Amino acid sequence: MSAHSVLHIDDTPMTDKYSVLLPTYNERENLPIIVYLLEKTFSQANIDWEIVIIDDASPDGTQDVARALINVYGEDKILLRPRSGKLGLGTAYIYGMQHATGNFIIIMDADFSHHPKFIPQFIRLQKQHDYDIVSGTRYRPGGGVYGWDFRRKLVSRGANFLASTMLRPNASDLTGSFRLYKKHVLARLMEVTVSKGYVFQMEMIVRARQLNFTVGEVPITFVDRLYGESKMGVSEIVQYAEGVWRLFVTV
Amino acid sequence: MTRATEAATAGAIALVIYIAAWIGVIPLPQTFYEQILPVLPWWSLVSFGAYSLGSIGYHLMTFEDCPGAYQELMGQIQEAKIELSAKGVPIS
Ligand SMILES: Nc1nc2c(ncn2[C@@H]2O[C@H](COP(=O)(O)OP(=O)(O)O)[C@@H](O)[C@H]2O)c(=O)[nH]1
Ligand SMILES: [Mg+2]
Repeated sequence: MSAHSVLHIDDTPMTDKYSVLLPTYNERENLPIIVYLLEKTFSQANIDWEIVIIDDASPDGTQDVARALINVYGEDKILLRPRSGKLGLGTAYIYGMQHATGNFIIIMDADFSHHPKFIPQFIRLQKQHDYDIVSGTRYRPGGGVYGWDFRRKLVSRGANFLASTMLRPNASDLTGSFRLYKKHVLARLMEVTVSKGYVFQMEMIVRARQLNFTVGEVPITFVDRLYGESKMGVSEIVQYAEGVWRLFVTV
Repeated sequence: MTRATEAATAGAIALVIYIAAWIGVIPLPQTFYEQILPVLPWWSLVSFGAYSLGSIGYHLMTFEDCPGAYQELMGQIQEAKIELSAKGVPIS
């Protein structure tokens, strides 16, 4: 134990603060609206918040919109932390987390598939049980998805069955990325998680089980992206199956 | 212990018990020996397959479409666009 630990008395803040990490790539249309809905949700529920926007040099002008939002909501609420190129989601979360000042971190997509209205439920459930993680789930009663055809549902259900059976984690939605974390828990998970892409979210929740973090779940309705494309082709499915196998033999 | 190790351990234990029953180390009634033991592996496989299909099928049938969530979101997007434009945020 270092000398510093002795001086280190209590770093728990008096009140909780929630930092939302919003990675964006070409979300000029979606970003202002999701920020508007977040602000409304937080102020109605009287929750201390900030939004960290991690934009990877989107060519569509997402950052111009972000700056306009800073003018409206203030630079203590909207933190624009751009990066110079499209470096991927995994590192975007790490980068965003380094700039977050809250003791809780909320990860969500900027494309409305994750609705801010569920955040107060996440927070309530977390407080009730002191959970390390609260995960949104599309797969439990009360949850669901808008905008998926039969094929997409079948792939999703099959993929989730495969992973749940092989990995037996403490959560029902392995690839979902709408989650609330205690900050130190997220930092720990980021340290040990190596996967990229789709498998990243899955590895985080599987590692959470390995590291004995507690997980609560809130059913969420998921409206698949309205503008722009969401991809789920053969190469995604193969990448996913490889990921499940790798986690099966390593975690 | 990884999930793979767990699965391999469980499989190995099941295999040892099965072989023990097969070669008669575990005493069993004659009918069990003749009629159940030979089909047990297939029966397990088919049961697991049926369970998998049943589980996926059930969850497919009960997969919610959430039209209400979509309607609500559409309304909120309209509202947000009006409010944001009024505040000078460029809306496309
Ligand atoms: N910063 C950053 N954000 C990204 C990148 N790729 C995707 N995003 C954002 O991450 C979120 C999820 O991406 P999306 O394309 O909707 O993935 P899907 O929902 O899995 O199909 C959205 O808010 C995207 O704008 C990236 O390379 N860098
Ligand atoms: Mg999406």
